[in-house]
Amino acid sequence: MMLEIRNLHKAFGSLEVLKGIDVDLEKGKVLVIIGPSGSGKTTLLRCINLLEMPDQGTMKLSDRALNFQPGRKIPSREVTELRKRTGMVFQSYNLFPHKTVIENIMEGPVVVQKKNKEQARKTAQGLLDKVGLGDRGDYYPHQLSGGQQQRVGIARAMAMEPDVLLFDEPTSALDPELVGEVLGVIKQLALEGRTMVIVTHEMKFAADVADHVILMDGGHIIEQGPPDQVINHPQSARAQQFMSRISGENI
Amino acid sequence: MTDRQIQILIDSFWPMLEAGIRFTLPLAIFSFLLGLILAVLTALARLSSFSLLRQIARFYVWIIRGTPLLVQLAIIFYGLPMISGSLEFDPFTAALIGFSLSVGAYGSEIVRAAIESIAKGQWEAAYAIGMTRSEALRRIILPQAARVSVPPLANSFISLVKDTSLAGAVTYVELYRTSEQIVATTYEYLLVYSEAAVIYLIFTTILSALQNRLEKRLRRSSAN
Repeated sequence: MMLEIRNLHKAFGSLEVLKGIDVDLEKGKVLVIIGPSGSGKTTLLRCINLLEMPDQGTMKLSDRALNFQPGRKIPSREVTELRKRTGMVFQSYNLFPHKTVIENIMEGPVVVQKKNKEQARKTAQGLLDKVGLGDRGDYYPHQLSGGQQQRVGIARAMAMEPDVLLFDEPTSALDPELVGEVLGVIKQLALEGRTMVIVTHEMKFAADVADHVILMDGGHIIEQGPPDQVINHPQSARAQQFMSRISGENI
Repeated sequence: MTDRQIQILIDSFWPMLEAGIRFTLPLAIFSFLLGLILAVLTALARLSSFSLLRQIARFYVWIIRGTPLLVQLAIIFYGLPMISGSLEFDPFTAALIGFSLSVGAYGSEIVRAAIESIAKGQWEAAYAIGMTRSEALRRIILPQAARVSVPPLANSFISLVKDTSLAGAVTYVELYRTSEQIVATTYEYLLVYSEAAVIYLIFTTILSALQNRLEKRLRRSSAN
């Protein structure tokens, strides 16, 4: 298993957001998390790279294993080590505005992995070519469209050669006509066999790209399985309700 | 205006301008640079997760902002030597210490606000590529905060140039103190002090123009 989560709990104050989540993800597979807003799906994703610190439970990711207990702080070295094995793509891109596109991508390899600058630049250029922005390296983020910025965000996450790529609603902030170019890049990564966890509202895309789908509601996983089963033939009443509401919106 | 008054105006212009360039501006520039370092350190201390550091920083800002600069200068120059001879400073050093502490305290609030104005997503993006807190601060947050804090810091510097007139009180002979000395022999209060004011105005006008240019350049190179 590349990722193994057991009994994960997270609360913000008195608000319990994750109420005992289990996740298994094999290397090279794509996990898509769906669910209504407030269901805890983004929190779950952010717990995987510890942008949110879980209160309780265990997590194994690649060669790291962590055990969360209330009142026990995970040493910051452990936190950084785990994060080095993940890459994250944010809903609002969060590119570094004071750095050019290529510098954004090189930043992690140079500062964190202490890679040689020239080599990091070469790798970054390769990643830019791959996301179709080979000629935009010297631009600043604000000179790019949202879709282009998000593709840079993907290249930046990939530059760290992470074991798991995390996507937090990567197309939610985009104009509809720009969604396709970003989903196309993610699809390509899936075909290459990258291990990915994707939180999204795009049901068609989820059905297309996922090996496994988790449907969350109220801090629980209420349905999971292959995409066809969860999206087209959900078992529980609550899951059916959510799916029919979503498909209604899509029309 | 009598011929005598015109002569006094002409005779006193160069000594005052010279005092401004040789004593007022260096005091302002060096206190500002030292104060900036102090301001960044204090801002970082205020944002630190160590409560003792936060307390020390808050105490320092509380004292400096809560007491008059003139009184602080008097304590440093006249008061501290009574504790120990090693705390006896020449007028320039005493003024430098006083003004640096002042810039450090007020500037720390500017720097802190600038750091806090940087979107949370920037921290998260830095953490997500495996940066430690200090790497994120140094590489991602502070460079952006520096841009945000340029306009208010430039304002502080212009204020500081004027505030250095207080250094006259600790016998540092800068622009204002020079004008006082001229008044003492000529009794032309209105004339000579007004002339001093004009020289301060020349300095601050040039600095404001520089500030405008700097801000324009920053606007051009920054997002949106």
